[in-house]
Amino acid sequence: MLGIGPRQWSDAWAGLKAIGPLMPGSVLFGLAFGALVRVAGIDPFTGSFASISVVAGASQIAIVEAIRTDAPAVIAVITALVINARFALYSAALAPVFAAFPRRWKLGLAHLMTDQAAVVSLQHADRYPDPVRRRWFIVGGALPFVAVWVAGSVAGIALGPVIPDAWQIGFIVPLMFLAVMVPGLRDAPGVTAVAVSVLVVVLAKDLPWGLNVLAGALAGIAVGSFVPARKPRGEVPDDGLAHDAGGGE
Amino acid sequence: MKTFLIFLFAAIGTYLIRISGIVIFGKDRQLPPRVARALQLVGPAAMAAIIANSLLLDEGSWRAFGAWHLAALVAVGVALWKRSSGWTMASGAVAFAALLLAGL
Repeated sequence: MLGIGPRQWSDAWAGLKAIGPLMPGSVLFGLAFGALVRVAGIDPFTGSFASISVVAGASQIAIVEAIRTDAPAVIAVITALVINARFALYSAALAPVFAAFPRRWKLGLAHLMTDQAAVVSLQHADRYPDPVRRRWFIVGGALPFVAVWVAGSVAGIALGPVIPDAWQIGFIVPLMFLAVMVPGLRDAPGVTAVAVSVLVVVLAKDLPWGLNVLAGALAGIAVGSFVPARKPRGEVPDDGLAHDAGGGE
Repeated sequence: MKTFLIFLFAAIGTYLIRISGIVIFGKDRQLPPRVARALQLVGPAAMAAIIANSLLLDEGSWRAFGAWHLAALVAVGVALWKRSSGWTMASGAVAFAALLLAGL
């Protein structure tokens, strides 16, 4: 990281300011994940490794839940990848934004593309037509955002054993996802996907290894995609989730 | 070790998903509309599945009605009213804490 000039620093700072309001939610989500890691009896190193390597909270929590129910490893991985399939949408949308970047930048920035960083990058890309300035803007927001996510996770792992059982910290899982999902839920396909998903999860509750979660998600996507949407898609892909201040990962 | 490998494979798979479009698609190639629409529903459908599994069920059985359901209802109400993640989190957490303190 040698040879970073003042212009690059100022572009990176602009990126940090753009994503800043979303950071508290990331820290909170990290804390929740970290606490759950300890509840599930996963060792601190593996828990921290997860936040650095996967960088996708919802899927990490799904894996923890799968481990708690003694699901086979394959089921845990597939469930996580289904949940993370949404990143393919960002990746396709980001392709023109990243097109002029050197290969190592593309490969590195891809790892940092959380929901929030992808949305911020797509929203601000046009203000930075110069690819050098643009990539510093993007890394300036995306890298610190992942850093606070990891810091939150590590803090949660450290604090996990201190949190009393009576607090029922597990409630953070549905609450966090309600906070991310419900405010952004507006169109008919999304509402249908949610309703079908919930229905399948509870009807299939006797399936082993948390397979009801996988079945619910897939059924929701399948049925919802047959429901016509009214509004045409905009420049920034709508992932049906909220990305305001205080939102989760 | 098994847990580590699960996260490792999930990490590799997730990274491949993250680079998929950036590597495959150039400036002008786009996702087929049908695929794009399905991917838009992944977030809501997956989150709803996790919510239902963690809120309505408890390790595969129905969760006894109580603080979890009531606090979640408060959170959903605030989410639809304010359309804000921060308000939803805060109201749900306060409602849950109040219900626990009230002995529910």
